[in-house]
Amino acid sequence: MLSVGRHKGKLLEIVVLAVTVVLVMAFSVTVDGFATLGNLRVILSNSASLVILSCGMAVVIISRGLDLSLIAVMVAGASTFSILINADVSALIALPVTMAAMVMVGLANGWLIAYVEIPAMLATLASAMFVTGLFRFAILRGEFMLILSKSNPAVVFLSGNILPGISTPVALMAATLVVTWFLLKYSAAGRTIYAMGDNFQAARLTGLPVRTTTIVVYVFAALTALCAGLLTSAASGAVDFRTVTNGTLLFEVILVVVLGGIPLRGGRGGVRNIIIGVALIAILRNGMTLLNFTSQMQDVLKGLVLIIAIVADNYLNPRDTETDTVGDL
Amino acid sequence: MLNIISSRIGNAAKGVLIGACMMLGAGAHANADTNIAGKKVIFVPITMGISLTEGWARRMQQHADIHGYTIDIRDAAFNTGAMAELLAKAISEKPDVLVVHNPTVQLLSRQIKQAEAEGIRVLQINLQSNQPSSAFVGANWERIGREIAEDIVTECGEGSGKSGKVAIIPGQLTAADSVIMNQAAFKVFEGHKEIEVVSNQASDWEPEKARQITATVLQQHPDLCAIFGHWDVHTMGAGNAVKDAGVADDVLVYATGGGDDVACKAVEDKVLDRVWSYDADGQGRDAGTMIDLLLQGAAAADGSMLSVESPMKIIKAGDSYDPGLCWKM
Repeated sequence: MLSVGRHKGKLLEIVVLAVTVVLVMAFSVTVDGFATLGNLRVILSNSASLVILSCGMAVVIISRGLDLSLIAVMVAGASTFSILINADVSALIALPVTMAAMVMVGLANGWLIAYVEIPAMLATLASAMFVTGLFRFAILRGEFMLILSKSNPAVVFLSGNILPGISTPVALMAATLVVTWFLLKYSAAGRTIYAMGDNFQAARLTGLPVRTTTIVVYVFAALTALCAGLLTSAASGAVDFRTVTNGTLLFEVILVVVLGGIPLRGGRGGVRNIIIGVALIAILRNGMTLLNFTSQMQDVLKGLVLIIAIVADNYLNPRDTETDTVGDL
Repeated sequence: MLNIISSRIGNAAKGVLIGACMMLGAGAHANADTNIAGKKVIFVPITMGISLTEGWARRMQQHADIHGYTIDIRDAAFNTGAMAELLAKAISEKPDVLVVHNPTVQLLSRQIKQAEAEGIRVLQINLQSNQPSSAFVGANWERIGREIAEDIVTECGEGSGKSGKVAIIPGQLTAADSVIMNQAAFKVFEGHKEIEVVSNQASDWEPEKARQITATVLQQHPDLCAIFGHWDVHTMGAGNAVKDAGVADDVLVYATGGGDDVACKAVEDKVLDRVWSYDADGQGRDAGTMIDLLLQGAAAADGSMLSVESPMKIIKAGDSYDPGLCWKM
């Protein structure tokens, strides 16, 4: 059964990769300025926060969890940091304070799921609502948006180049991918995460530290969310709570993870799957923007390509009683 | 003697006149108070928590306090579904005046018609539906679109030595302001074939989406001459992309907005170059006055919509820059 599952995951990866390659070829031929080094930089820079968020979500999903508070934590983290630096607090103080606050949210999520045993979806949905409400009404006093000054050194650092030719968002994206890869592949927590996703009860009965690992998973997700939030707000010069309320980013993150070949029931997948999933979405978005498609048309085409990928996967790998698991594609 | 008599008659006449004026004035004031005190006004904005609607609400509340009527605010928090429900509930409460901030030209048109049919006077503020009502207070979007387009033609058109390439970033393609501004701008550009609109993609009012669109468009068109953003808040994302690409001196970033101090700060930071401000603070006062008049039964003689056009303030970077053009909460 395990080999069938692995085979299926790889097939979806291959289909998504093939669709991405076809799109790259089509855009290279039809769109001026697509196949350039400069455009590759733009694609990387524009998808940095999506990759970072997907790393957090992927680790959670592999452990058979789901973090619906990811975007709320991202915006809450960016707000905390922005409020502090707007009040002329040094970034060296603001960053650890913000990290501590977001770790608390991750701890709360992990504790609710591991110790109170509330389903992950409900616990993180509740914490997302709590965090958003708290920030909007108690801290921002009803404001929807915080504007960041582009002259602030922390903002300049986060949106500028860390090395000649390498922007901070791209460097942080690469660092997050490496940390995620290390966590999943080489740490004890990583092995437990796969075991939890594969068979949670078996992992628990064999004495693996499933509760502590659950907390590690949700704290890691909160930290990736904070990292993505800092990059997005510095780049656009604003912290925007509509990112939480309109919900599209959260669905995009889940989509990236699942399309890349990580099933919602967990237990398999890795950094490679995240890269494949993001590549499809990022290429599609970039090509359509260059083609001057309206945002509504972009949504239609994005949906269409995703349906094609899923149907192709279904055709290549028909479901049977063993593989037709709830939550799987 | 005759002189004395005529002087006394003159003084008496003046006294009677002044007394009559005072009585009339006092009477009119007393009538206004008596007539509208205790009346009920409901304001349904797209969202609170942004300077535009907060600025309006502040001024409208001042009018309500002076005259003794009430203003209830029903915050739709950028949720159009919730907005239609809030409006339905507001109509069922039968207020004397309903103030509506339309997200699109279509969304609330049936409800506006229903409210007017039930005798509720509807004041549309800044964004107009395609359904007329008792009154409208707001910007003349046709004028803004036309003036900005004409300015772009001057800066990027024939004889400027520039490419003539323009990117437009509307909020939503179906929003009243975006529809009217785009129509007006394209009408101007039609007469100037050297102007090429290379991108016209909506940002859903989000700075991050505007930033990503701009970064991509700049990659394809490094000789871009101007960006026309339909709202200063999301256009700041575009301005940040221009600044990050190091072309702030070559690309003019145009925007329109309520003109609070954040807009001036963006001009100072060279994130925005030119802002057509409709002065939300002044609009709030106009709206307050219009509510006072509607509550007193004011109506156009021919039954058409009473209309107040907001005067424009043009905030430009450079020698003519005047921070006094912006207002602060």
